[in-house]
Amino acid sequence: MNSVLPLIKNETIKIIKKKRFYVILLILLVLVPIFTYAQMRSAEQTRAKFHGDWRLEVQQQITDNENSLGSDRVPEEWKKYRKVLVQQLQYYLDHDINPNEPNGVTFTREFMANSITLFIPLLIMAIASDIVSGERTTGTIKMLLTRPVKRWKVLLSKLVALYMFTSLTVVAAFVITYVISGAFFGYQGFNLPVFTGFQITGSNVDLSAVHAVPQWKYLLMQGGLVWFVSLTVASLAFMVSVLIRSTAASIVVMMAALIAGSILTNMASAWNSAKYLFMVNLDLTDYLSGTPAPIEGMTLGFSLTVLSVWAVAALIISFLVFTRRDILN
Amino acid sequence: MPVTDNPSAQDHIVLSVEHVKKKIGRKWIIEDVTFDVREGEIFGFLGPNGAGKTTTIRMLVDLIKPSSGTIKVCGFDVNKQQEQALSYVGSIVENPEMYTYLTGWENLEHFARMQPGIDRERIQEVVNIVRLDQRIHDKVSTYSLGMRQRLGIAQALLGRPKLLILDEPTNGLDPKGIKELRQFIRELAEDGLAVFVSSHLLSEIQLLCDRVAIISLGRVLAVGEVEELVAANAKYVIWDLEPVEAGKRELTSRQEIEVIEQVDRVLDDTIIAGMGPNAIVTRMEEEDIAGMVLHLVNSGISVQGVHKINPTLEQLFLKMTEGESIE
Amino acid sequence: MNSSKWIWRIVSIVSILATLLLLIGFVYAIKDIQYPQAGQTPSAAQPQENHEAKGPEAKKEIKIAAIGDSLAKGTGDNTGMGFARRTVNELAKDTGKKVILLNNLGINGLTTTGLLPKLEERGTQYVLGQADIILLSIGGNDLFQGAESAVKGIAGTSSTATGLELDPKDLLKGLPKASTQLKAILERIRAINPNAWIVYIGLYNPFGDIKDLQIPGNQAVSSWNQAALETINKNSNMMLVPTFDLFQHNLDKYLSSDHFHPNGDGYQQIAERIVQAIR
Repeated sequence: MNSVLPLIKNETIKIIKKKRFYVILLILLVLVPIFTYAQMRSAEQTRAKFHGDWRLEVQQQITDNENSLGSDRVPEEWKKYRKVLVQQLQYYLDHDINPNEPNGVTFTREFMANSITLFIPLLIMAIASDIVSGERTTGTIKMLLTRPVKRWKVLLSKLVALYMFTSLTVVAAFVITYVISGAFFGYQGFNLPVFTGFQITGSNVDLSAVHAVPQWKYLLMQGGLVWFVSLTVASLAFMVSVLIRSTAASIVVMMAALIAGSILTNMASAWNSAKYLFMVNLDLTDYLSGTPAPIEGMTLGFSLTVLSVWAVAALIISFLVFTRRDILN
Repeated sequence: MPVTDNPSAQDHIVLSVEHVKKKIGRKWIIEDVTFDVREGEIFGFLGPNGAGKTTTIRMLVDLIKPSSGTIKVCGFDVNKQQEQALSYVGSIVENPEMYTYLTGWENLEHFARMQPGIDRERIQEVVNIVRLDQRIHDKVSTYSLGMRQRLGIAQALLGRPKLLILDEPTNGLDPKGIKELRQFIRELAEDGLAVFVSSHLLSEIQLLCDRVAIISLGRVLAVGEVEELVAANAKYVIWDLEPVEAGKRELTSRQEIEVIEQVDRVLDDTIIAGMGPNAIVTRMEEEDIAGMVLHLVNSGISVQGVHKINPTLEQLFLKMTEGESIE
Repeated sequence: MNSSKWIWRIVSIVSILATLLLLIGFVYAIKDIQYPQAGQTPSAAQPQENHEAKGPEAKKEIKIAAIGDSLAKGTGDNTGMGFARRTVNELAKDTGKKVILLNNLGINGLTTTGLLPKLEERGTQYVLGQADIILLSIGGNDLFQGAESAVKGIAGTSSTATGLELDPKDLLKGLPKASTQLKAILERIRAINPNAWIVYIGLYNPFGDIKDLQIPGNQAVSSWNQAALETINKNSNMMLVPTFDLFQHNLDKYLSSDHFHPNGDGYQQIAERIVQAIR
């Protein structure tokens, strides 16, 4: 029967021609310079504070940490951490990189870590919220569904196109952030070591496995996690878009959920079962950087499972509703 | 996937609707709809707004699933074998809503991709048929309503359908456009296409259609040749008599004449407005008029006017629906 | 109309590549977080370029760097200044010039073996290269290893006479090797900064008041200092500041409670001597 590929092609062309993706790129192009400028101002301030030579500063840090390595009273696991820290600082000196002065790659990494819960999902929603409800608002859904194509194929093509643009959005966010912040801070920094491997058990951080990875690899891993979160958000927004006729309303619903998530993250540590909500589990990069999870019992595996369950449930609902529903208007 | 063996090609029936019912919420929107549409005919679907026309059309193209009953296109069940059934159907449901941010051509390409066997040449062909070739590479957002309607028809014709479904096709068109469209639909039917046209404009159906189904409150009241249905109905005669009371008594006393008390339930406002204050509306056979006039004159009643109202589908409809208002 | 063809080609190819890239990143992330492997560090590249060493020009500023063991760091000084900071203060008073302590690179428990590789580090080289005066204290831990390990704790916490656990015979054992390394250290620093004054702080015997350790300790310290002098005398702009005599009969007065490191007064004495030496 009909292949789904031409339908995906249709959806892709529609997203591009409807300038949805341009909107996303535009948002990035406008906002990233603003964030970059803010970062640059704060970097200027720190530079003014260390009026001296940053190399001396870093060397002193190394010496201080090496001193604490010698002490018996420092726990063994902290020593490991410090050893890695010294290695990292050493790297800065060896490669003539001022750790207090951001570079394009570091800025991108930090920016992405901050964007994963709200900013990137918002961009994804710009496409996802509109993808089905947009056709209903304009009435073109009737044209779409009176073709000799099964409804699930139509919906599948929209989902695949959405996932394609989700990947594109995530990569575009990285690339644009890097290119713009690089213009301010320089494009180097890919080989800078970054810590990872923190194992969080409850409120304790197990540092025994801490190690440094080059920043490009960290960025890659971060990208992977951002992508997974984005796919989940895309799936949920997709469902909302199927269920709600108005694009604006579906954006509002998704935004409400995401903002609720960020509020809950800050205050829900006492409410343990909140960890089963998808919006509390969006900050996957925390597991990479070693920030303790907001609610006890949350691990990467747990969060991935919660997100997957929500996403799959959303897709099942989307397909069930879409294939059965009467198009009344 | 052009299907070669057609399960039931008998009688050239392209669309068959059998006892279709639809319940939305607790309400039966469509209570019982049955009709057939044959090859090469223009089939009208007449009913007031809210009668269930749009719901029925949506069921024909699988936008809505009927609660019971079957709809078959060229022998394929629309709800169970939608891919086969809908490949024979081209349709515009309500307004021809196209993607306004695409050009006309891109819209056609878009719909062409949803159906196998439609190449560039076919797209160019339908563009020529609807005479949009001048503006086809402009964005649809710049199109006039008439152009959108034509683009909608082009879209419907893309897949070389056997059945064309047009929902209120003359909506929003100017008189010239309506005339053109009528001409165009006739040409399509002459080429063997079955055209299903819904309308609440009775004159429209009368001018355009070969056969008609009249629907009201979710039921099909009548199906048949437009001419037959009109002929089968009694005619109205308006009398202007002096004195009125005596005249009325005379008319009422005759068995073959029916005097209609609630005039506004059977006649148009325009006709009622043209009547005198003492006019009496009757339903009677044409050949009885002369004898009646003679009788009235002999009874000392002066006949000041006798008007024969030419039967229209409109009145036919009013009669069938017992005065349910149309607009 | 051809634009849609290109849109499709570009978008599909780029999005597939993007998806693959992100998928790889995702797999990496899972692997890294779920099964972290410690100690995996990027190969720290060796310094490629030599930092040009700036000599002690007759400037208004005098830059001082301290490097070496706990003495250089100032362990035992309750004020935390150590001889490095105190030298800076004294020198400023004495010369009226602006004196800057670039860095104090002293690390508790550092031995000659530990110091040598440090000198190859770019950061160390950078600091030393900028200094006009380099204060070096090293060797105490080579000699008093056992004692050192027993008093490793921060000054003031292990106040018992821990030196007793030390076997006197061991004192001289590591001497030959250590003094060779000291020579290497001095030469390396000279190479890093040919123009700076290098001030080596001689050793004292912290166990001068412990009967069993007094004699072997004295012997060890003086042979060490002797070995150091051999190298130092061959170099201009290099000097040894003796401390042996300072502490010899003033251990109570100048040692901190850990009985190993000097206290604030002890460091002050060392600092004054340093200033005298370089004047």
